[in-house]
Amino acid sequence: MEKPVDHATESSETIPHKSNDLENTNHPDESEHQSQNNNPTETATTPESESSQLSLPQVMEAVDDFIQSLSSSTDPLQEIPPAVEPFPETVDSLVSKMESSGLGRDESEDSAFIDAVNRISISVIRLRELNLDSTPVSSWLNRASSVQHRAVSLLDEEFRHLLDRSNKKKNGDEHNNHDESDNNNPPQEEKTFPDIPPESIPTLKKIAGAMISAGYETECCMSYETSRRHAFKEELSEIGFEGINVDDVQRIPWESLQGEIASWISIVRRCSSVLFPGELSLCRTVFPEQDHASLRKGLFTGLVSAVTIRFLDFSGAVVLTKRSSEKLFKFLDMYETLRELIPAVEESDSDLIQEIKLSQTRLGEAAVTIFGELENSIKTDIGRTPVPSGAVHPLTRYTMNYLKYACEYKDTLNQVFQHYEKAETDETEPEPERHQREDDEEYKTSAFARQMIRVMELLDANLEVKSGLYRDPSLRSIFLMNNGRYILQKIKGSIEIRDLMGQAWTRKRSTELRQYHKSYQRETWGKVLQCMNQEGLQVNGKISKTALKERFKIFNNMFDEIHKTQSTWIVNDEQMQSELRVSIAALVIPAYRSFFGRYKQHIDSGRHTDKYVKYQPEDIESVIDDLFDGNPASMGRKRT
Amino acid sequence: MPATEFQGSFGRSLLTLRRDQTDSNHHHHQPQNTMEAELDSFQRQVAEKFIDLNASAGDNNLLSLDWISKLLDSFLCCQEEFRAIIFNHRSQISAPPMDRILSDYFERSIKALDVCNAIRDGIEQIRQWQKLSDIVISALDSHRPVGEGQLRRAKKALIDLAIGMLDEKDHSSTTSLAHRNRSFGRAKDNHSHHRSFGHFRSLSWSVSRSWSASKQLQALANNLNTPKPNDVAASNGLAVPVYTMTSVLLFVMWVLVAAIPCQDRGLQVNFSVPRHYQWAVPVMSLHDKIVEESKRRDRKNCCGLLKEIDRIEKSSKVMNELVDSIQFPLSEEKESEVKQRVVELVEVHEGLKKGLDPFERKVREVFHRIVRSRTESLDSLC
Repeated sequence: MEKPVDHATESSETIPHKSNDLENTNHPDESEHQSQNNNPTETATTPESESSQLSLPQVMEAVDDFIQSLSSSTDPLQEIPPAVEPFPETVDSLVSKMESSGLGRDESEDSAFIDAVNRISISVIRLRELNLDSTPVSSWLNRASSVQHRAVSLLDEEFRHLLDRSNKKKNGDEHNNHDESDNNNPPQEEKTFPDIPPESIPTLKKIAGAMISAGYETECCMSYETSRRHAFKEELSEIGFEGINVDDVQRIPWESLQGEIASWISIVRRCSSVLFPGELSLCRTVFPEQDHASLRKGLFTGLVSAVTIRFLDFSGAVVLTKRSSEKLFKFLDMYETLRELIPAVEESDSDLIQEIKLSQTRLGEAAVTIFGELENSIKTDIGRTPVPSGAVHPLTRYTMNYLKYACEYKDTLNQVFQHYEKAETDETEPEPERHQREDDEEYKTSAFARQMIRVMELLDANLEVKSGLYRDPSLRSIFLMNNGRYILQKIKGSIEIRDLMGQAWTRKRSTELRQYHKSYQRETWGKVLQCMNQEGLQVNGKISKTALKERFKIFNNMFDEIHKTQSTWIVNDEQMQSELRVSIAALVIPAYRSFFGRYKQHIDSGRHTDKYVKYQPEDIESVIDDLFDGNPASMGRKRT
Repeated sequence: MPATEFQGSFGRSLLTLRRDQTDSNHHHHQPQNTMEAELDSFQRQVAEKFIDLNASAGDNNLLSLDWISKLLDSFLCCQEEFRAIIFNHRSQISAPPMDRILSDYFERSIKALDVCNAIRDGIEQIRQWQKLSDIVISALDSHRPVGEGQLRRAKKALIDLAIGMLDEKDHSSTTSLAHRNRSFGRAKDNHSHHRSFGHFRSLSWSVSRSWSASKQLQALANNLNTPKPNDVAASNGLAVPVYTMTSVLLFVMWVLVAAIPCQDRGLQVNFSVPRHYQWAVPVMSLHDKIVEESKRRDRKNCCGLLKEIDRIEKSSKVMNELVDSIQFPLSEEKESEVKQRVVELVEVHEGLKKGLDPFERKVREVFHRIVRSRTESLDSLC
């Protein structure tokens, strides 16, 4: 039927004429195809669209009045007003027209159509509420409901069409751009999600509203959900997320699994920041009514749950793999990624949030275990071979580097340990007494700090034992200095660790270092200094040449021995090395200079002086500079 | 989804378990008797659960949502008991043969996780059918006169429902069916995403495309042998509860696959337990009943043995025939028939509506419990 087309488009713009519209001349007989009409002037009019005498807006107005009358009238309805009578067929024609042209092309056309559908829906709904015993009314109702269904079905298809077509269209464009652009540019940066063209949105909104008013809420939601799930699925597979089996994950070697995890992290992040908020926004836009709040929540929950649960399946699978220390930081990354996801799904059911938290807990437990592995590896490091030259022990390096890296996750680890501590101590148990340190605020509050300190204490104890493997007490001190210094420097070098461990702890370590230093000096240089002591050199007021010679000899031997031995020792930290040398020099050189200056002349018999006086005061310094180099000293060469 | 209501009783940590143990009455201090009694008690408990399940598997209850939920509850109970046993004797589990036996159990339990996830998709599918039933019910609302439009609406939903319930294997034929029945609406087929569940099924994505439920079950059951006498002796009897738990796990997964639509359903699994186990008889009896049911129902290519699915199928089929037979104007007889059928449909529908969400949560709880038991053992090894 051609004429209704023109009729409909005209009606929205002009005030329609009645019988004297000569532009739409047509065969009068066709007017009989139109609905039953009691108006005898029908045959006089030309186009069958106007056989009803009324334009669409006029009919709709009449329908509005009719609907009004239904609620106000108490008498059972006996017949349908003549103006309203042809309405179903009018709408039917509209449906046919919209079928071929589709919605989303002309906004005013769409509006007119939807208005008509809304009216027929309301009429049907209202009439069905009444007790009808009138046949004309029942028959009208039947026709109307039939047309209503046809109309709403069309709306449904159009709804899906608009939701889907948009994605495909965008993808089509995207592919074209792809070939031209640099392959390194990730396409998703340019895409928005959901990528439904903005011009479709008002139509989608109207259709949704019309479907729900018509009582077709279920169909509307199903179409929406199907389309959105499809869109998500495509989006996810485009960014590389595939279904993965828990079983298979167990067999993937860690190197490859790391890559999967990195991929997972970036995808989940994208959901948190772009996809889920976009979805929520679309939901709110298409279903904006206050009344539809629970509908929105249901749709949003359904969509994000379906996607999120897959993410949680993967993290659950990963957490089932064997624990090993290298996995700690990736697990923490995953934990943090899930934490960021929670705000994005806040608008959904709480069940989902619980699920996410549960997955986090599993990851957290694994992290605790792995971190605990560190303690074990310290405890079991009980080799009997001391590190040559008293250098920093590999265990110290490993532990400190691990802790330093761990501190970058300080807050997350704290969360994890807090949760773990809470779970382990039942609420019914009283708070256990904690070994508190006075001025360390962070220690008091941070569960992770407590863990760190435990590890440090274990390390200290272990190093103490290791130091005992050295027979030479001086080397023992050097060893403790080296390791203590390394630890202290690592701590000072990172604000996080420093704050975590606290001032008092750091101060204590510095004090200990000084004590080791003093020990070393005492053990190595005590006797050396002693032999330069004035006491015992004078016999009966005169300097004993023999004693003096003996003294010089002893000094030389000691000094040589120290030179030989301690040159091979290592002090790793350059600054400490220099400090040591300086302090030794400060100790020994003035003493020797004074000794040398005072007593050299007494054995300056011209012959064999160098047998006794091996070292000039200047030489002392160069020997000291050899110390702690880790190289065997070149002996027997005196520099002048 | 998660059963937060379970966290209280089942989510105890190992430490609370330890504490409860010392408080509990029936743990005496004689090691030998304790262990034997403990293991015996476990066997008895499992047997009792399955005798109970067998008894409640009356005519229309077997494989109903309610009954399967009960089965899952039994699994959770047994699993908890099992966990306690392993914990109590954890000193033994890192030594042979228990290390091997237990690690085998965990490997199988991980396979069960994928089954739980696949089941989730099946539940989602059932939800879609529910929505379609919703449409039929609201279209044929018995309180209002049924017009032609409502009838068509119901018919459309019924067709989609019929398509959706076809077994996966027949999927290829469903697309043509859907197109044929799209008598109204656009002829532009390239745009029409019919609401049929062939389309929706392709959105089921909890497991990878190549995953197969039947293969997974077979892997779960592979080499599941009764414990060798050597192993039993060497493990002080601990090999037996492991075998028991594995069998229970396998049975439960098998039932889930039987009942709920999932990818590549197949029930050909070798499952037989020697009669001398207390629980063997009731378990095998249930097994046989279900096999029988599957033979009966699969002749009609059903997608899942869940009783509710059967009911939906039947009542929607009846409704479909009725709707087809209607001509306007509606006779009083026809009208009352419609009303009656709607009431029946509502009955089937309501039961499912109430039961499906809790059921899904329960499946999820099973998933979580299996994961937890695995991670606990991993964490205790360190």
